[in-house]
Amino acid sequence: MYDLISPLLSNAIVFANIIALMAISSTLSLSITNVPNFAVATFGTIGIYISFTCINFFGIGLYPSLFFCFIGGGVVGVIIYYLLVRPLRRRGATREQLMIATLGLDIFLIALLNIYADYLTYTFKIRTREFTLGVHDFTLGGLKGVLIISLLVFFCILIALHLIFTRTNVGIAMKALGEDPVLAECEGVDTDRLCMITWFLAGALPATAGVFYPVNWISNPTVSLYLVVSVFASCVLGGFATIYDAAVGGYIIGLTQTLLISYLAGVIGSWILPYGFLVALLIMIATVFLFPQGLYGLPWGEMINKIRNIFTSIRVRWRLK
Amino acid sequence: MMVPGLDFLVTLIIYILIFLIVTLSYNMAYGYTGVPDFGRAMAAGAGGFLCGYLPGRLMAFVLGIQGDYIENSISIVGKVNAFLGDNPLMSIALLMLTLLLAALAGAALGLLASLPMLRGLRLFYLGVTLLAIQIGFNTIAYYWKPLIGGPLGIPVPDPFRWLTHYSLLGIPPASMRLVGVIIASGIVLLIVGYYCISVGKSPLGRLLKAVRDDEKGAEALGRDTRKLYVKVMTVSYAFTGVAGALFAYYGGYVVGLQFDKVGWTFWPVATVIVGGLANYKGTIIGTAALITLRRLILFYKSDLEFILPFSPVWLEDFILGIVLMLVLIYRPQGILPEKPEIPLSREEIEEIKEKRR
Repeated sequence: MYDLISPLLSNAIVFANIIALMAISSTLSLSITNVPNFAVATFGTIGIYISFTCINFFGIGLYPSLFFCFIGGGVVGVIIYYLLVRPLRRRGATREQLMIATLGLDIFLIALLNIYADYLTYTFKIRTREFTLGVHDFTLGGLKGVLIISLLVFFCILIALHLIFTRTNVGIAMKALGEDPVLAECEGVDTDRLCMITWFLAGALPATAGVFYPVNWISNPTVSLYLVVSVFASCVLGGFATIYDAAVGGYIIGLTQTLLISYLAGVIGSWILPYGFLVALLIMIATVFLFPQGLYGLPWGEMINKIRNIFTSIRVRWRLK
Repeated sequence: MMVPGLDFLVTLIIYILIFLIVTLSYNMAYGYTGVPDFGRAMAAGAGGFLCGYLPGRLMAFVLGIQGDYIENSISIVGKVNAFLGDNPLMSIALLMLTLLLAALAGAALGLLASLPMLRGLRLFYLGVTLLAIQIGFNTIAYYWKPLIGGPLGIPVPDPFRWLTHYSLLGIPPASMRLVGVIIASGIVLLIVGYYCISVGKSPLGRLLKAVRDDEKGAEALGRDTRKLYVKVMTVSYAFTGVAGALFAYYGGYVVGLQFDKVGWTFWPVATVIVGGLANYKGTIIGTAALITLRRLILFYKSDLEFILPFSPVWLEDFILGIVLMLVLIYRPQGILPEKPEIPLSREEIEEIKEKRR
């Protein structure tokens, strides 16, 4: 067996896909429904356990279970919207209270996943912690299946979201809802249904991303505790504004974190490996202190103009055409 | 089914005393000033890890004990404890010194934690940043071996050992140590409680509430809100640091994951919200209720194990999440709602002015 690209790079890309999908979900729920979602990484863990259940109990393969994770995660998102977010907003909760409520939701979901894992272990005597699903993966032409599928899923979702937000009425209404909920409602937009759709996506995307995690890494009900730092780092880097910034932020964080740490482990020593997510943390703190608006808020137009001006001046000086 | 006995009660009292320090100081930051401080576990960790790092090494240096501290920590701490057991004055001095240093360590972290606020971060960004910094801090403490022995942890010298030579009011000498813990945390709690309650009643407390309700308005009236944020965070982190040090002395052992975000950030958040913001009575009631609940779950753990199809450890987190969500949906003002500040009438103000002259 041979590898077309190094396993390190392949793992880094898979990780970046996972983080980027979660970052998109978190950005969606904040920018459209104005709810800061702390439980986003735990939605990913829900995906891990849905696919675990599909494989072990229903004999569904690893990648076919993606479909069930998408639906299952979405349903969880909708349930959370109806049971938690909507009552809170009806009561006129502040953003602070919504934030703490999702924090409570995060703890609750982690406890629930632990209870589920315990239940499976006690009842069916199967291993539900510290497992990997790598054996269910395939290789195609020297590439790991998880790399191909995760890239495919990530770009399909990104393109689908792009089309939804630019071509359909629902997507444009969602954008309007994010800009000004009162005005959107005045224009006859059904905000309740749109929020429900947003929360469906906010639950479905991380759960789908969760399927890829156990293929490469050891999984527990508590993996979200460490993923959450990377996810928030990429959201902050992106600027919590649009899905494209979140995707770029996720890719930057995911790739840097994995590649830099394995490079440093080779130079300094393997003791540095557990500190992996500190890279994400440092990038996040740097973003917060240097450009708090994130990539979205950077003056891209000015920068491009400046670079163009430099080229023009060079062309003029050297009398090029 | 067992009935909770005296042991349970003593542990409960110690937990309530120590956590009251945390929740009262947390109430000052979140309840009064409105800082969504999700990195509070960092302060408790600073105190606790300091207890694992400093007193043992200090005493080993004083007593001239040789050898690598991390490798031989158990034997070195044993020797130190034997020495401390015979020297009450030395023990008290060590305890006071470490509590002071824990307060300083907490204050330093509080300064660090108020930096993002100086950059203009509020609400979600601030909460996320502090939470991420706290996770990073705890991970370093857990994996970095020279600090407190990495994943294995490290024993803490016992400054209450000398009490076991005495007996008071018929308490067996072996339990006198816990009496010492109760007295020490009680004294700290008195100081912290007096400070927090009097801040709440003073003009400073009203200013903090004003900043929480309308930051721009307070700034427009000439108040330096940045300075206030720094002060509040520093003081309240310092108090929490002392609580962490007391907890480490009580437990006698420190591990990097002991001061985790659920136990030392989210439970205080839940307590303050359940009790009612900016309200010391509510905080006291909330702390007593929630800590009793947690201790009861732990106490009945072995009984629950037979009934439940899962490990009862998760019940604690499960209940925490449910409590947070339900309270926010159904009673967001808490058990005891915050009382509105009724301003003095014009005549009363004039009267006070006349008296001053």
